Amino acid sequence: MANAVEMRGISKYFSSTEVQANDHVDFSVRDGEIHALVGENGAGKSTLMNILYGLIKPDSGEILIHDQSVKITHPDDAIGLGIGMVHQHFMLVPSFTVAQNIMLGMEPNKYGWLKQKEEIELVNKLAEKYGLPVDPKAKVGELPVGMQQRVEILKTLQRNTKILILDEPTAVLTPQEVRDLMEVVKRLSKEQGQTIIFITHKLVEVIEVADRVTVMRDGKNVGTKDVADTDIPEMARMMVGRDVLFNVKKEFAKPGDLVFEAEKITVASDNGYPAVVDLSLSVRSGEILGIAGVSGNGQTELAEAIAGIRPVESGTIKLDGKFVTQGSVEQRRKNGMAHIPEDRIHMGLNLHTNLDENVLLSRQRQPQFNRFGFIQARKVADFAGQIIDNFDVHGAKPGGSVDTLSGGNMQKIVVGRELSHKPNFILANQPTRGLDVGSIEFVHKTLIEARDEGAGVLLVSVELDEIMSLSDRVAVIYRGQILGEFDISEVTEEKLGILMAGGSLDDPDSGTYQRATAPVDQLPDIG
Amino acid sequence: MDKAKREKFYNTLIVPVLAIAAGLIVAAILVLSTGNNPLDTFRVLINSGFSCESINRCTFISTLERSTPLILTGLSALVAFRTGVFSLGQEGQMMLGAVMAAWLGYQLHLPNVIHPIVVIIAAVVVGGLYGFIPGLLKVKLGVNELISTIMLNEIAILCLEWAVNFPLRADAGSAAHSHTIQPTAVLPAFLPGSRWGVGFVIAILMAVAIYFLLWKTSLGYEQRMSGNAPRFAKYGGIKNEKAALRGMIISGALAGLAGAIEVLGVNRRIMTGYSVGLGFDGLSVAILGQTHPLGVVIVAILFAGVRLGAQLGLQIQLRIPRELGGVIIAFIILFVATDKLFLNVITWIRAKLAKQPKNQPVEEGSD
Repeated sequence: MANAVEMRGISKYFSSTEVQANDHVDFSVRDGEIHALVGENGAGKSTLMNILYGLIKPDSGEILIHDQSVKITHPDDAIGLGIGMVHQHFMLVPSFTVAQNIMLGMEPNKYGWLKQKEEIELVNKLAEKYGLPVDPKAKVGELPVGMQQRVEILKTLQRNTKILILDEPTAVLTPQEVRDLMEVVKRLSKEQGQTIIFITHKLVEVIEVADRVTVMRDGKNVGTKDVADTDIPEMARMMVGRDVLFNVKKEFAKPGDLVFEAEKITVASDNGYPAVVDLSLSVRSGEILGIAGVSGNGQTELAEAIAGIRPVESGTIKLDGKFVTQGSVEQRRKNGMAHIPEDRIHMGLNLHTNLDENVLLSRQRQPQFNRFGFIQARKVADFAGQIIDNFDVHGAKPGGSVDTLSGGNMQKIVVGRELSHKPNFILANQPTRGLDVGSIEFVHKTLIEARDEGAGVLLVSVELDEIMSLSDRVAVIYRGQILGEFDISEVTEEKLGILMAGGSLDDPDSGTYQRATAPVDQLPDIG
Repeated sequence: MDKAKREKFYNTLIVPVLAIAAGLIVAAILVLSTGNNPLDTFRVLINSGFSCESINRCTFISTLERSTPLILTGLSALVAFRTGVFSLGQEGQMMLGAVMAAWLGYQLHLPNVIHPIVVIIAAVVVGGLYGFIPGLLKVKLGVNELISTIMLNEIAILCLEWAVNFPLRADAGSAAHSHTIQPTAVLPAFLPGSRWGVGFVIAILMAVAIYFLLWKTSLGYEQRMSGNAPRFAKYGGIKNEKAALRGMIISGALAGLAGAIEVLGVNRRIMTGYSVGLGFDGLSVAILGQTHPLGVVIVAILFAGVRLGAQLGLQIQLRIPRELGGVIIAFIILFVATDKLFLNVITWIRAKLAKQPKNQPVEEGSD
């Protein structure tokens, strides 16, 4: 089979961050295949694809498309060669309709007047051709994420794409949407003859959908394999460079006293609408309660309200048996709370300052680090050193900078700072988002250890695997409410998936796309 | 890591140096257009601002005297910026401090050392309160401090004009001015015939104090975290609103102090048109000084020297308008504001230099 894409000896060095993002990478994709490109964060897979799409100029190397040597210096060149890319963050206009988005920039018109009927027809034809049904008149901003992604794919296909790059397409989807996407990808490849490059770091998806897989590590191509000849442990080993434990071994939970109770709390989002409605939860010491849900269903607001950085409109919160509903962050921390926030770059860390000042946060007034109002810099440095040693932070040293660390090592600093004072309640919001396999394993192990030492953990995550492997109990959040709460022994991914999409376990047809996008007026009245 | 730190250090150092060089080049072109030799002109300027032949013929001492209010207003702006409030209120706070100093300096009758201390405390309190107003407006009502401080500047300047013309007016002479302060209130100078004295020492002590406050105490830690990473601060339990208020008050107090020292140490009274922009200059000093106390002191002295040199050297000796000094400073500020440009130039040169060893067969340290 001929090669649709061949990249030879691609190198790219970023002088601003001193990273060799690509180091003489050879990469080829056969015509019509689904080729998975996997690797940890920072392995260079996005850089490689951005070079192919003309967004980044390589330092050296050669690109061949259908065996013709080409120069790609701008996305226009790539589009001209039939290369399309669907980015992780969609490039759609939310206030435009599906048809307007798909035809953006090439609207059918007569003397400058738009021909909307024709536009809708064109989109319908396109959707039919590729078997990707959409409602051309729907507003993109009102569609669920999976549908928006479909619009993005159609928009790309509309430009006569033959080679389709999907950049971590499943990161934002529900399990059902992931399944739909997998079908679509397979169909595009087998029926339409599209060549598809599928960037991911979820190895299950590779096995499910790809024909071949290329693994990258530290900017180098570690190897390309037929998916039929490989398995997940082997790919993980190639990615990380060592064996990886997938399921953290854990003992059964030994739940103790209640360390956290939320009673009918209602929390407003930034625009004033209730994001969390009459929600009740409780966590005992020595157990992990997982909150599953598609991102944007009130998790952020819930976590911030618990952490004390967002006001609670009504209801009560107790930590360690004491009411802290209106209490300050300081008061909550005094009652044993630790908080691993979702946004480690802006909330978990201060990248403008050094590591010591990052680990000092919330301890600056403790006698241990403070004498007569003056910070004991040496003690802080010692503490930073302890965190670096105990949590195995690579490339860091006391007084050093944090903004040059990888995401995984940044998160180790956050986790280290938060868990160093032996908290009895840990709020972990998306603690492994965007991390590589090795760091995920580390964070998981650390959380389990904290649990075994008697901490109660509230784990908020959109990753079902994470919820399934860590939790002792699972609750599903949908539009700010808990739709169901289970012991881990009675949970299946199926069940969670249905609830995450807003369905009901009694009604087998619910939880599909239709239900998940029910218009706002059919929602429970939460005024 | 070390490399990154070193790079950062170079960037903080190289950018102002390049900016000053670029400012001087543009100024040289302007000098050429007046028909003078730029090199001679700069020599005269430096001689008149930074020379010290003997204790009696030492222009640098005058420069230090003139840098005193700039150091203080620079520190005032620094505290605000480091705390995350963009206060432009230094001018107004300084004017109210000056009014307090002129009034109490004349009105009170106190012993020698006590008198200036009392006056300074009063001016500091007034400046701090005048900073507290926009701070409160920001925290409680969300009023943008950029706008409120500019408006409050106008109010303060007009208050000063009113005070000079009515309650504090000394005589019915042509230019309105206040009474000269009591001799007991005067801040002493070090040398006869100069007004460089205790005020400068206070300013330097303030720079040291601000450094320790911001970088060595838990309060300063909270202020800075709130300033450059408000979400991080909030997450860690630091109250951003309180930090902003504190920042505004300390900033205002420093500007009020500047006004008091200017009156007690140099002018000894206030007159109509007293607002000449020393407060606004504090903003430029703080930014040019990389919002660091040491940088503020250096830049304040530089500013004062260039101004003095332009006045004494250019205007009197060469008959070039002294505004040229202002023009040079303005260009330097402009070039500092375009620091991205210089950073790009540095990165570009680095990249060029880095490329050369790559042609050699051995490639090193690239992972």
